[in-house]
Amino acid sequence: MGRTLRDALIALGIVFGVGSGAMLLAHVSPIDGFGALFDGALGNASELAETLLQTTALLFPALGIALAFRAGLFNIGAEGQIVLGGMTAGILGVALPLPGPLLIPVVLVAGACAGGLWGGLAGFLKARFGANEVISTLMLNTIAILLATYLIGGPFKQPGAGAAETPQLPPAAWLPVLVPNSRLSVSFLIALALAAALQYAFHRTVFGYELRAAGKAPEAARRAGIDLGRTAFSAMALSGAIAGLGGATIVMGVLHRFNTGLSPGYGFVAIAVALVGNLEPLFIIIAAFGFGILQSGAIAMQAEANVPRDIVTLIEGLVIVALAGRRFVAERRTS
Amino acid sequence: MSDFGGALLALLALTLVKATPLIYAALGGVLSERSGVVNIGLEGILTAAAFFAVVASAATGSPIAGAAAGMVAGAAVAAILAFAATRLGVDQIVAGTGLNIMALGGAAYGLVLVFNQPGASREVPSLGKPGEVVLIALAFALAAALWFALFRTPWGLHVRACGENPRAAEVAGIDALQTRFWAVVIGGAIAALGGVYLSLAELDLYSDGMTAGRGYIALAAVIFGRWNPWGALGAALFFGFFAALQYSLQRAGIPSELMQALPYVAALVALAGFAGRVRAPAADGIPFER
Amino acid sequence: MAEAALRLRGISKRFGAILAVDGVDLDVAPGEIHALVGENGAGKSTLAAIAYGAVKPDAGTVETGGSVGLVHQHFLLIERLRVWENILLGREPRAGARIDRVRARAIVAELAARHGLAVDPDAFVETLPIGIKQRVELLRELAREPAVLLLDEPTAALAPSEIDTFFATVRALAQRGTAILIVTHKLAEVMGYSGRVTVMRSGKIVAAFRTAQTSADAIARAMVGGEIPALAARAATRPAARLAVRDICAGSGAGALAGATFGVAAGEIVGIAGIEGNGQTMLADAIAGIVPYTGEMALDGELLAPALSPAQRIARGIRVIPQDRRGEALILDWNIIDNVALGRQRDPPLRRGFVIDREVAGRFATDIIERFDVRPPNPKAFVGTLSGGNQQKIVVGRALAGAPKLVVAYQPTRGVDIGAAALVGSRLIEARNAGAAVLLISFELDEIFALADRIFVLFGGKFVGEFDRAELDRGRIGALMAGG
Repeated sequence: MGRTLRDALIALGIVFGVGSGAMLLAHVSPIDGFGALFDGALGNASELAETLLQTTALLFPALGIALAFRAGLFNIGAEGQIVLGGMTAGILGVALPLPGPLLIPVVLVAGACAGGLWGGLAGFLKARFGANEVISTLMLNTIAILLATYLIGGPFKQPGAGAAETPQLPPAAWLPVLVPNSRLSVSFLIALALAAALQYAFHRTVFGYELRAAGKAPEAARRAGIDLGRTAFSAMALSGAIAGLGGATIVMGVLHRFNTGLSPGYGFVAIAVALVGNLEPLFIIIAAFGFGILQSGAIAMQAEANVPRDIVTLIEGLVIVALAGRRFVAERRTS
Repeated sequence: MSDFGGALLALLALTLVKATPLIYAALGGVLSERSGVVNIGLEGILTAAAFFAVVASAATGSPIAGAAAGMVAGAAVAAILAFAATRLGVDQIVAGTGLNIMALGGAAYGLVLVFNQPGASREVPSLGKPGEVVLIALAFALAAALWFALFRTPWGLHVRACGENPRAAEVAGIDALQTRFWAVVIGGAIAALGGVYLSLAELDLYSDGMTAGRGYIALAAVIFGRWNPWGALGAALFFGFFAALQYSLQRAGIPSELMQALPYVAALVALAGFAGRVRAPAADGIPFER
Repeated sequence: MAEAALRLRGISKRFGAILAVDGVDLDVAPGEIHALVGENGAGKSTLAAIAYGAVKPDAGTVETGGSVGLVHQHFLLIERLRVWENILLGREPRAGARIDRVRARAIVAELAARHGLAVDPDAFVETLPIGIKQRVELLRELAREPAVLLLDEPTAALAPSEIDTFFATVRALAQRGTAILIVTHKLAEVMGYSGRVTVMRSGKIVAAFRTAQTSADAIARAMVGGEIPALAARAATRPAARLAVRDICAGSGAGALAGATFGVAAGEIVGIAGIEGNGQTMLADAIAGIVPYTGEMALDGELLAPALSPAQRIARGIRVIPQDRRGEALILDWNIIDNVALGRQRDPPLRRGFVIDREVAGRFATDIIERFDVRPPNPKAFVGTLSGGNQQKIVVGRALAGAPKLVVAYQPTRGVDIGAAALVGSRLIEARNAGAAVLLISFELDEIFALADRIFVLFGGKFVGEFDRAELDRGRIGALMAGG
């Protein structure tokens, strides 16, 4: 708990310290800059809803990344997994002739499976060949975006599709809205439930126990009968599935169609979210909210205070560097 | 027949062009990892170097000054990682990832600050064709120089000792932390030339995301090349070939996205084929504490 | 009286809660061979590291009459570099910007010849057998012409004939005026080769002798500080075949197992004697199921296929106490309760459906803490904060819980104080009395003699001798261990 608090304070320090510095460089007073940011994020109900929407978009991949981290693996491929999950939702949501109550769960699961496949591929390469999952997931990110672009423009092109996007989903495939007149859908609740489930899974279940053991002490875990290869694979697959689910919810809850730009870097920012939350799902919810404020406030900050929103990316990267910590000490190990 | 020969030559030339930034980044990665520090931040180094090279060139009108500024920027980014890895003992992979994100955001931010337009800078004085040729040749020369330095000089032996067993190095009177620090920084300066090539030689501007994952492909080249400068050079040429191939094959009617994916798929396959069978320096990625 | 080459005064060093060295004074004179003895955990290695300068003491002074060399117990060599690179690291001969490799090789060859320690300067260290590796380690220190040479457990990995050669080298060095401090717990060597003996216990110096005026018994009594705790009584058992192993081969190169055939019965302790590096690790790992092997292995008549996973072997009642508790048995960041569940997390009652039953785990932990006298007796204590002896007790307690059929104990008392070692030994005997088959693999012949019903000698990956408890012949066994 003490460590989480310290990490959170470091993150806050960076946000305000570096943020102020960068704002001054842009000849903007930090008060104006941060004022616009927070006002834009929390000023009124619809802005709060938008912030929660960003929170949700970050929460899914962050939970997935945290799960992988716990197993000693680094999933940088959440971006690609989000894209493929979203693509699957964009295609199946239009193509499946199912009624609403059935269509939504099926498409969500399909999106999760797509992400899980992509993550599982990296996990398989790691388990079977010892391929460094950092490099492989990064390669898979780019391949995913190219693949998605090709598929929706080629073999899976559907009538009514625009350039590099799928046609709009039928209303049966839209996620119910949580706050009227906003884009915030029940995906927020799904994410919260998922966080709670993961918290339980990590600390109470045999699966979570073996996952954490494999991440902490692979040699001791192996002798305790834990199959490191299978753990690596399932961790990466599950991690990808959660991110893929996030992508599907973006398509079904926010955009109501898929295009390859559906994730403005959520998969990377989520790394910072996972770290600030100390890999504990319940803390990650809070961290996601904090970063959600940054994401949604950044647009307002740019529009009103003239601070380029990329400063938020800069700050997020710095948070990751600052919180890299001693915790993980990645080893080059084969299964 | 001569048409085929001409096409082949064009392909080879394009391979060199595409491989050169990879060569620089991979050489920087080799030096860093040989000393025991995994440098995932190569992408960020390329980004920072490409950006600052353009800024300096625009400000001074001299592409040479731009190149120098790019190298300094790359070395500076590397220094952040080097400091975090040696003095703070952080997880090098996580820190490197953070640096990449920082660099991307910083460059995008800088674009607006300096050029008043997002997305891409305006065109700046570039090194032109002669500059391209020089940088390509220099890449090969640097590979030879790095090989010599690592395997024939005392400093290279010390670097390799730190990457294998830093405690043994310390007992021999070598400052493992300092050796690692400078290896990473110098590696960063070398890798930075790849960024300079991208923005001041191959093109004459900086645009968001122009590095397009080359820093990561370079990491695959380091592994594929067995942490050896010549091996990394060969691996970089291999991946560069696939990047060049995409242009030739596009005319064969294969969808462009699949072609663009070629170098990434090649890197993935190489990783899968080789990773389990090669050994990194024994202390690679493991922070050393006194 | 010659001026001391090494003078330690008032040295103290604390690691966390443990006072490793407590107010030590020690002198070593030039040309003397001085033995520093004590049980595991007495503080000897820490004191040597302080004398070398690798560790800074919390209090006290270190004065030396020249440079100090240290041959580490587990070597500090760079495996992937060559012999000459290891020896001359930091002092490489140069030719301009290059290393003068020709001169480097010549320097190493001359050094080796001067000390009578033949090595191939160009060989890669990782290809060398352990005895030669030690020569490289020794030459590295000798290259600096130290006034004081510290040797930490130098003969742990040597065959008896190699030990003779080693001490001949040491004697020659002493004759040339080097002050030598040997840290060891092997009293036979102390009596045979040293001039003075200093005994440490619990961080303090408790006795100092002139070797000629004392005996191994007196030294042993000083080391232990009283009576050595007795082991549990051996009950009469009726051994019934349990583990049958035929022609097991595992691994390749040095340390490989090249065809082991033996059996361990329920109700007996079989000891595997041998020098480190002769296949013991491969044997333990093959039975545990973590390395591939060829040959036949059966437990109670049921075949254990090589593909049978560690989890399946655990389910069949095989428990392994690994050699390296910190790296292979425990998760130091976790508490005792979580560590105790390791290895049994899939079995009821610890597993209840998908979930781990915390109450059951807590009970397991308190059970082991009581039976094995773990201190401090707090189930929520983090294992990383416990002493080596207490950590080992948890590992052993966990392995012996639940009436296992076969226990493989690999160096079960390594680095553990005498009290904990006696407790562990007693528990192993009790497990044997209760019908478990115990396979004891150890590099300490004394331990094997104290515990085993039958002894096999492992050399070069093969079993080369079998002895019954009643007919133990130390000389013969020692010869077989060395390949004689």
